[in-house]
Amino acid sequence: MRTSHPCCGCLSRRHCLKIISATAAGLAFSGELFSASAKSRRPDSGFVDPKRLRPCPKVRLEAAILQQPRPYWLGWPGKTYPLDQRQKEYRALLGGSCQRLGIELHEEGQPIETDAEFAAFLKGVGERKPDGVLVILQHMNCWGWANRLASEAGAPLIVFAPIGTSFTGHVAGISRQRGVHVVSSLEWQSVEEGLRMVRAKRMFEETRVLWIQGNNRNETVLDRLGTKVRAIPRNAFNELFDQMPANDEVKDVASAFRKHAKRVVEPTWQDSLNSARTYTTAKRLMTDEQANAISMDCLGMVSAKVLPTPPCGAWTLFQDMGVTCGCEADLFGALSLMLPSYLLDRCGYMNDPVPETVKNLLVAAHCVSGTRIAGFNQKQAPYILRSHSESALGVSVQVLWPVGEAVSLIRFQNPNELIFDTGTVAGNINTPPAGGCRTSVEIKMDNVEDCRDVLGFHQVVTLGNHRRMVEAFCQLYGIKVIHSPEHPTRPKTA
Amino acid sequence: MAKSHSHPEEKRSRASLAGSRSQGPAGARACFCALGLLVALQGSSEVLLKSPGLASSRMDGQGRLVEDWGALSVMVGSAGASVAPQVTVESIKLDGVVPAAQARSQQGGVALTLTAFRAPTWPAGIDVLTVRLAEAAGQEATVQLSLGLPETTRLGLKTVSLGGRPVVGLPAGVEVSQALREWGSVDDAVALPGWARPAAPCDPAFQNIRAGMGGVPILYRFKVEPKAKVNVVLGFCESYWAQAGQRSLVCQVEGAPPQEIDPVARWGQHQPGALLFAAGDANGDGMLEVAVLPKPDAADQNPILNAIWLFPAETPPNLEQVVAGKLNAAASRYVQVGGPNDQSLAAGGRVEYVLKLPARGAQELTFLVACPGGSVPQPDQTTWTPEKLRQSAAAVWHDWR
Repeated sequence: MRTSHPCCGCLSRRHCLKIISATAAGLAFSGELFSASAKSRRPDSGFVDPKRLRPCPKVRLEAAILQQPRPYWLGWPGKTYPLDQRQKEYRALLGGSCQRLGIELHEEGQPIETDAEFAAFLKGVGERKPDGVLVILQHMNCWGWANRLASEAGAPLIVFAPIGTSFTGHVAGISRQRGVHVVSSLEWQSVEEGLRMVRAKRMFEETRVLWIQGNNRNETVLDRLGTKVRAIPRNAFNELFDQMPANDEVKDVASAFRKHAKRVVEPTWQDSLNSARTYTTAKRLMTDEQANAISMDCLGMVSAKVLPTPPCGAWTLFQDMGVTCGCEADLFGALSLMLPSYLLDRCGYMNDPVPETVKNLLVAAHCVSGTRIAGFNQKQAPYILRSHSESALGVSVQVLWPVGEAVSLIRFQNPNELIFDTGTVAGNINTPPAGGCRTSVEIKMDNVEDCRDVLGFHQVVTLGNHRRMVEAFCQLYGIKVIHSPEHPTRPKTA
Repeated sequence: MAKSHSHPEEKRSRASLAGSRSQGPAGARACFCALGLLVALQGSSEVLLKSPGLASSRMDGQGRLVEDWGALSVMVGSAGASVAPQVTVESIKLDGVVPAAQARSQQGGVALTLTAFRAPTWPAGIDVLTVRLAEAAGQEATVQLSLGLPETTRLGLKTVSLGGRPVVGLPAGVEVSQALREWGSVDDAVALPGWARPAAPCDPAFQNIRAGMGGVPILYRFKVEPKAKVNVVLGFCESYWAQAGQRSLVCQVEGAPPQEIDPVARWGQHQPGALLFAAGDANGDGMLEVAVLPKPDAADQNPILNAIWLFPAETPPNLEQVVAGKLNAAASRYVQVGGPNDQSLAAGGRVEYVLKLPARGAQELTFLVACPGGSVPQPDQTTWTPEKLRQSAAAVWHDWR
């Protein structure tokens, strides 16, 4: 069975547009931004639709139900298990999930119940090379096939084993195997999360990140993630910025950003216009370079005084629309921002980690944070418009993170390794009295005895404890997960 | 990365070679009698290997890949070969968009085709060299294939390195065939002389290490009598970590139970220590294998090793005296790992394979080659395959303006 394409050429494009539209609808300033720039005012001839910047890859899934010849008699799930009903339900759930996620589904029309049918399925998977394979187990004796798929399919494998189709012995090994995600549960939501992982990986592959720094122009591709990295000279940004007019779109963006702020402290109207010009500059540059994301040497540009404002405010706008724009040309920081965006449909922020040694908290500080921290289609967090702290220039944000809520800290060290930790928001620090960066969140770390031992720099803080999903994603794609040490590792010295 | 009967889509350009194919002055050739014949000895035009914005390398007129670390040549030899083959080098396009170089030659009844392109891997790229051998005379053939490399290169299990830099990634599934020394390191791990700072009197071997950067095992092999029993002592001195629980190691010595060791927990930072293994040639192949790997959950995944001693099986050596360097003379082998008396298992400068080609059959081997400023990835730590590399090159060239 194939799902129909709801639009010409790309099922997922429509879905992506839907996501962005939903984001816009729920997102006060972006919603106004969209409506103002795209509808109420006559669009500028150079208008770039930001909805097109988020990668919309084609994602192909092969799926099959695995069962044993009927009628069932003894052996799990048992004779009383309503096979037809369950299978109908699971097919419907699968279709719905794929529709929601923009995944092209190729589903075996009939359950597989013989070795010959399984061999044909395996052969087809090998030939069609899908982005992922999902099997739904309907008998305990089907695990042998699942194990063969895990080693022979050549594609990430999701195994859904509804309760009643496995013992611990079936699951213990395969569920820890690289390239496999096993859901032994009745919770379909976890199966959909597996599908999100497959989609997220395709989004990484579809992404071209503009690495704006230095003087070189080249393009490379990252191992494992498949993300394209296009390096362009730093001057490309400020030279384009100089040409960017303060047009209607710029004024609307500046106005909406100020209007929906809880407070505006330092930024002047001119600061806001400049900040909005960095937004239109970045859109134009990404479009010209066929890119979906940016990692820029922003501090270097401010230091060299080639820009009147750091891009912090614009980066916040992009984060809220699911478009990754990262600070300080930290390429793996930008990739770390992409993970919550692509996998969890929410933004976060990369931070400079500071130990608060009296309260034993980690202070995660930076001058950029998205406001759609609970999800792109959720209510935004309150924010205060500030200047960029270190330079006292332009527009930055202090996003007030919800105290008491769980957070995850994510950091790609390289394409093969990721640091992951969790904690709880303990407070928001104001500047002044503190120095540092505008968004400054106190975090009580889980499973890290001493805040000085938290690993990494520019870890991305994301709302929610996503340990299970991030670790499952990493297992599916062979990424090693590292956690900060629970106990201090450095000896006391004289 | 070894496979048979592949026919990549290629588009040829005559531009670089018009006029060079007919050249063939014998004086420009060099004889390569011992192994066969250098396939590419004459003056075809060179072809650049490039990717947008990256420093280029080249396939020269002799069919050699010329990189910033040296040149790689491919030679074939077979029984009865006596005439230097003529080689043609030309510029082609793979998949209609990826610039590549191709060298063709005929060695007796075997056609050799070298195809190379630049894959745009982050951060510096990799040159991908596919060696295709095709039997054309209708008779099964045994062919010796040799890679010629700088003499200072070292052959590991999966890579060839030069000064610690992995410069060639070897194809999986095909074993090298060259003669090996009586003992030595299988050179994937890096020698770091003077790395350690032992804080107690000890043998000078404790000053040096090999390190398996990125989780690469440190592997040594020693020739012994088949099924021989041996006492093996491994020496360690950790000088980076001050605290325990960082670099835990798994030591696997053939014929002995594996031992796990955290040198700092056992002896302390900068403190030399040793482990004894009642080992033996368990599989009877006449080689004793010694390996040190990272413990899978260790925070630091770079294993280290300072010293190896082999003693007769009869009397277990006193470890304190071994650490103090007082039993070196009694050892049948004493290796300052990463130090002055260390050596590679294979001689440098060459990688050899013996391949059987069925009549009218073909075989392909794909090598990853470090290009300017880069190195090849360790095969266990990468998802790159020749197919994916080519797809990436096509994707980048397709969108590049």
